[in-house]
Amino acid sequence: MAPTLLEEVPPPRLTPVGGVKEALQRRSARPGGRAYTVVRWSGAVLFAAIVVALVVSLLASSSQAFAHSGLSFFWSGTYNAAKDIYPTGVFILGTLITTAVAIILAVPIGVGTAAFLSEFAPRWLATPLSVAIDLIAAVPSIVVGLWGLLVLQPIFTRHVEPFMKKIPVLEWFFHGPALGPSMFLAGTVLAVMILPTIVALSRTSMSAVAVEDREAARALGATRWQVVTTAVVPGARTGIEAAVTLGIGRAMGETIAVAMVIGNNYALPHSLLSPGATLGSAIINNFGEASPGLDRASVIGLVVVLLVLSALVNVGGQLLMRARSRVVGATT
Amino acid sequence: MTPHAGTASVSLRDVSVTFGHHRVVRDVSLDLVRNRVTALVGPSGCGKTTILRTVNRLHDDTGGKVTGKVMVGDLDIYARDTRAELVRSRVGMVFQRPNPFPTMSIFDNVVAGLRLNGVRSKSVLREAAESALHHAALWDLVKDRLHSPAVKLSGGQQQRLCIARALAVEPEVLLMDEPCSSLDPIATAKIEELIAHLATDVTIGLVTHNMFQATRVSHYTAFFLLGEDRATGELVEYGPTQQIFDAPLDPRTRAYVSGEVG
Amino acid sequence: MSSTVYAIDPDAAGAIGARRDLVRESARRSLVRRRLLGRAAIVLCVVAVAVSLAPLVALVAYTTSRGIHALSWTFLTHIPTPPGIPGGGVSNAIVGTVIIVGVAVAMAVPVGIMAALFLVERTGRIASALRFAADVLTGVPSIAVGAFAVAVFVDPFDHYSGLVGSFALATLMLPIVIRANEAAMRSVPRDLWEAGLALGVRRSRVVRSVVLRGALPGLVTGNLLAVSRAVGETAPLLFTIFGSGFLVANPTQPMQALPLTIFTDGTSAQPSSQLIAWGSAFVLLVLVLVLSVVARVVSARLNRQAR
Repeated sequence: MAPTLLEEVPPPRLTPVGGVKEALQRRSARPGGRAYTVVRWSGAVLFAAIVVALVVSLLASSSQAFAHSGLSFFWSGTYNAAKDIYPTGVFILGTLITTAVAIILAVPIGVGTAAFLSEFAPRWLATPLSVAIDLIAAVPSIVVGLWGLLVLQPIFTRHVEPFMKKIPVLEWFFHGPALGPSMFLAGTVLAVMILPTIVALSRTSMSAVAVEDREAARALGATRWQVVTTAVVPGARTGIEAAVTLGIGRAMGETIAVAMVIGNNYALPHSLLSPGATLGSAIINNFGEASPGLDRASVIGLVVVLLVLSALVNVGGQLLMRARSRVVGATT
Repeated sequence: MTPHAGTASVSLRDVSVTFGHHRVVRDVSLDLVRNRVTALVGPSGCGKTTILRTVNRLHDDTGGKVTGKVMVGDLDIYARDTRAELVRSRVGMVFQRPNPFPTMSIFDNVVAGLRLNGVRSKSVLREAAESALHHAALWDLVKDRLHSPAVKLSGGQQQRLCIARALAVEPEVLLMDEPCSSLDPIATAKIEELIAHLATDVTIGLVTHNMFQATRVSHYTAFFLLGEDRATGELVEYGPTQQIFDAPLDPRTRAYVSGEVG
Repeated sequence: MSSTVYAIDPDAAGAIGARRDLVRESARRSLVRRRLLGRAAIVLCVVAVAVSLAPLVALVAYTTSRGIHALSWTFLTHIPTPPGIPGGGVSNAIVGTVIIVGVAVAMAVPVGIMAALFLVERTGRIASALRFAADVLTGVPSIAVGAFAVAVFVDPFDHYSGLVGSFALATLMLPIVIRANEAAMRSVPRDLWEAGLALGVRRSRVVRSVVLRGALPGLVTGNLLAVSRAVGETAPLLFTIFGSGFLVANPTQPMQALPLTIFTDGTSAQPSSQLIAWGSAFVLLVLVLVLSVVARVVSARLNRQAR
């Protein structure tokens, strides 16, 4: 996955650079050349065109499937007399389950790591460690998938999953035979992929907590850990929530790595050890063989469903965060 | 009001603070007299705040090395078996800029220190909060909105909230580092009144760059200056406030005082 | 001192110090527990760090140790042989990756710079909308971009080609490139902009000589990072370039690429194919890491020159 601009903060309020208005007024509209304006506008127009084309083409190519099934496409996919092809509901469930596993694994580990890097590690240690963790994000998902399939899966099948079955509370989630591909394995692979995002954003938020708040806690008699729980984590909460939301988005959208380890099974999963399918894996596994027409339209329909689901989760997360902050009354 | 048993005096003997290779302040010996306000004055950069922070061992976190002896009551706070957290529950601090915990309500801010030190009983917390808010002259203002966010208060009110937060822990000593420097004159006046009232129950060490403030609220004054090497701060003169301002013994003190006041 | 503002009722207030002993006792008694809790928590955090690093170490270690076995001159210079027959290589995939990514860069970077220039100069609603679109687009799963490319360029003509793959990669790179470039240009201090304008120089000249030069480190890093991401992407290529067992250098034809090789050979049951997958994964990993490192080194050097 990509070493995208994790640290970049979007500029809050943008002013025209270079005093455009003043310069223009001073020189009574010296626009700087026709060519320049054309160049800039072409770039913008091309980009806009691509964005629009993306949306339109996806909708158009999948329209046949939605026309055929209507809104029921969102849970039963395209149905024909012979069989339920692309049972969307199962895929959505698979996506949610694997994402949930990924989050449950990645958030505590990620936030704990971020806390150590931000609060307890000396500078000479924290920087190389963060760089190392960010490097995981640079590894292409196909390589992670390969590693998950050929390295992790045997280990999981032979050792990890039998072990999980023995843990008292968890055995309910892990019943059934460990056959190889499983939702748990897929969730773990996803956790590995979203971990750098969660660590980086959480760490930035924690480090950004003002030293005054830490000193206030310290001066009251707090231990170092109490400073973290009293001043740092509450102060960093919005950033951590943003990190988690971003992580969820990435986990839901991951296709290749999941496709390689989840087993492409369309039955309703009965345990974390079942093989299954997610929206992403189903798209990958079916796109190539889908015959043009309703088949193809259905697969692209799955892409649309994935985008809708991601958008819903994203918007839901933002609304939740906004509602929470209003209740608590934090003005930050 | 009779001073309560239980407040302490603070004594510093030959205290120096060094950061890396740079000695910020050297050989300071002064007392924070029990139940009195002692002001630390002088131009900025002379080590007043650095010295103040030795009394609650805040330099443990900043990497400053403290030598010399600091006693709070009969406790040597830099002794090897003395726990810094326990020192800080006896010596409270109010900072230059009001720093209430931004995600907490007014009530939670006031009792934060108590909670941090293991006090859980709801009745004790409520009593302590009410008492502390009274002493910070905030009770009437906030009593109906104790659970609203602390950040909604004005600057001066937030600073009084921080004072209440420090008081709730019942410290024997209260250190105040230029508490009014970020406040307007009216808020400053309120806090100066507060300091005068508090002094009878708490030993107060007050860093201020405002000489007038020192004359208004303090009983004792310690005057700091940069030494001749222009790099290390030192204590020039220490004595009753009256004497420092009317009849200073050291010519440097006289120069500074007359320059400010005259 | 008068108490005009300050009137406390001593009975209501209680004395400071009434609870002093209680607090001191509580502080002392709770300290042991608090410190123990703190130490345990820190230990857990250290464990978390170790767990966070483990996947990276494992990924690199396994990919290297298994991939190295596949590496040989033959591997890098020959095209694949039928499964099970030794002596094959992935030269078609390597060449394909280089060509496809190269064309994608040629598509995305110029448009990205142009669009970034647009965003830098304007703050209206159009600019905000475009910025928002770019932000949203960076989070879109790459399969959507692949599907888009297939729908527009493959299905209507029933023809797969490296060009379509490049287009898909370019679409993926574009929002990243645009935002990175805009940020780099905006980081050039205002005085440089205004100095140029004040001299009466044409705006485009100012941009060309002053701003682009000043933003060069950021531009280089941002674009190279986008490239290193594109190199590793599979989904946009999977259904657009179709793949080929032959070394194809013509982008208008179906081609092979490293991610494709890894996918097909990695999911095969044949150990020899899996070996090829590991080898390709190793090559890909090296490529991606080299690009990231080069990006940072170049930008650091340019930063130094700028000073």
